[in-house]
Amino acid sequence: MLAYLIFALTIGGIYALLALSLNLIWGGIGLVNLGLVGFFALGAYASALLTGAGLPVLFGWGGAIIVGAIAGLIVTLATTRLRDDYLAIVTLGLAEVIRLVALNERWLTNGSDGISGIQAPLKSALGNQGFNIFYLVLVSAVVLVVWLVLRRLDRSPYGRAMKAIREDQELAGFAGKNVLGFKVQAFAVSAAIAGLAGALYAHFQSYVSPDHFQPLITIYIFLAVAAGGVGRPAGGVLGAYVVVFFLELTRFLPDLVPALAPAQFAACREILVGVALILVLRFRPQGLLPEQILPAPKS
Amino acid sequence: MNRTRREFLAGTAGAMALPLLTGSGFAQSEGTLRIGALNPVTGAGGPYGEGMQKMILAAADAVNAAGGAAGRKIEIFAEDTQTDPQAAVLAAKKLIEVNKVQAVLGTWSSGVSLAVVPLTNDAGIMLMNTSGAPALSVPPANEKGLSYRFQATNDRFGRAFAEIAEKEGFKRPATMAFNNASGIGNTEGFKKAWEAKGGEIVSSVVYEPKQTSYSSELMQILAAQPDVIVMGSYVGDTTIILREWYQAGQPAKWIIPGWAANSDLVAALGPDVVEGIISVDSVSNEEAAAYTEYDKAYQAAMGKPGSDNVYAAMTWDMMTVLALAVEAAGTTDMAKVNEKMHDVANPDGTTVSSFAEGKEALKSGPINYEGASSVLDFDAYGDVTPDFSASVIEDGKINRHYVVKI
Repeated sequence: MLAYLIFALTIGGIYALLALSLNLIWGGIGLVNLGLVGFFALGAYASALLTGAGLPVLFGWGGAIIVGAIAGLIVTLATTRLRDDYLAIVTLGLAEVIRLVALNERWLTNGSDGISGIQAPLKSALGNQGFNIFYLVLVSAVVLVVWLVLRRLDRSPYGRAMKAIREDQELAGFAGKNVLGFKVQAFAVSAAIAGLAGALYAHFQSYVSPDHFQPLITIYIFLAVAAGGVGRPAGGVLGAYVVVFFLELTRFLPDLVPALAPAQFAACREILVGVALILVLRFRPQGLLPEQILPAPKS
Repeated sequence: MNRTRREFLAGTAGAMALPLLTGSGFAQSEGTLRIGALNPVTGAGGPYGEGMQKMILAAADAVNAAGGAAGRKIEIFAEDTQTDPQAAVLAAKKLIEVNKVQAVLGTWSSGVSLAVVPLTNDAGIMLMNTSGAPALSVPPANEKGLSYRFQATNDRFGRAFAEIAEKEGFKRPATMAFNNASGIGNTEGFKKAWEAKGGEIVSSVVYEPKQTSYSSELMQILAAQPDVIVMGSYVGDTTIILREWYQAGQPAKWIIPGWAANSDLVAALGPDVVEGIISVDSVSNEEAAAYTEYDKAYQAAMGKPGSDNVYAAMTWDMMTVLALAVEAAGTTDMAKVNEKMHDVANPDGTTVSSFAEGKEALKSGPINYEGASSVLDFDAYGDVTPDFSASVIEDGKINRHYVVKI
């Protein structure tokens, strides 16, 4: 049971990083990025390929951050005139493009077979159980650091400027804020975090394939951020752990409801996820930890 | 504000307590052999997953009715892969760590099997799959010899295609593959085997799933004037491609895997279009006694004939052959059971077709289980090596012409 909890918490941590990434871009500056899983995939593949070529794992992770950030830059610069639904559609398309490239460029990504045997750092030294604990600590520490940084950002003048852009882009521009600059920076940082999450995921699972990066992940993360509280980093983190916890918890319900056959139950699980989202949105639309707008310090 | 936060905290605390409560629900019953059924109940594998799961349960019932394996009753813990590697990994981890299963049976798609196999390897337990990807046979996926495949590899299908193309006297083959591990595995396997025979492939394309027309891919292939087109495809795309080919009017022969060139295809296109198509399938064991038993169990559980779901026949065999290996080893120590897997499934020994029969025969010597899905003989990689049949569609009927061994 303990080993399973450690495993689920590690996955929860990776989802929390994705939620922080999404919260920065969606809750922070108001850009809807439906292509989150694409940046996640880029990071995973970048690190898998770099370490596969013989580089140390830390280089792989650094590479994933850089690749994610560059991809984020390209996306924002290519879509400067798009907002809202239009941007959402473009980013959704982008994630599918990334997945299809991974599926088709067999020389690079090994196509649908995926890349297996990705280095698991220190696994031989620590053993299975030791490695899982080490990785949980590592992922949790990364979540903590990223959360602290983003929380600081959220409360700084920079964060207030982002939120001003989110609320009214024209007004923010009129007030002398460089709207495009903020958007590009926020998108690049957000994509870099998603890339890092991908790299952490790849080395934890030691296997990635295009099947891993279905749009469903993006939906889960949107669910996490919406349930946790849009616009507040702690909300996204909490939401991600709650989503993973909820998904895993539902596995144990058949023990309570023995009347359902396992196959029937599998279908019911999906219904439960949908019902939970509806309930959250109906009764707590601001999320579990609503956004806080702190008064600006008097200077 | 405060009040709602307190409510929220109370809610979370309640949720946290739930798994502790359910903990007693699956109290570890000593003395049973715990087996995980990890099947694609939802997602792309949905049409097969429920049947696969029910056949693991049915085969376990048959084992238990015969007194269990090595004196232990079998207990099944079922999880859904959602046909998604990420979800499957969590489900597998739960089976391994919480339910303490001694083997995981019935992963379906290659992506899921490849994602789960590192976990079962770490735990030192077996993973039995119905996937086609060649990568599952070799390290790192199969570095410990704990992975068993009950489906012919796509690569083997490709080799069978090459044998048949040679036998039929074709000289200028072209290939078309659906873009996934299975489709490409078929045509790559064909290419390797064909080129090893000194042949040459005149043209090949890989096409994307879910298109409404494949005419540009088809025209590219037909431009090379092939005498036969070898497919790695499924029913839906094959239907579209053949219709467009028939309209184009250029003569060619086709070699198509059996799961695509089946009665559904004939019904969709009519006998004229599909006349002369060669359909290649692994020879299932429809004549065998094990198949009859499986068919009966499948009818009872699903209300449909067993031929409806080839993967369910494979999971039936998984449970049965695993139980026989446990019985032969006389212990549930999985390292020892794994050594017996080849002994109970492969030739040299009394031929048996059910657990009860095998348990009896084991008392007097070695056995050879002949399964419902194939004769079920494992090679050094833990893969089954079935024979393949070449059938030709004639007047809307699929007639088996001959069998090839590879």
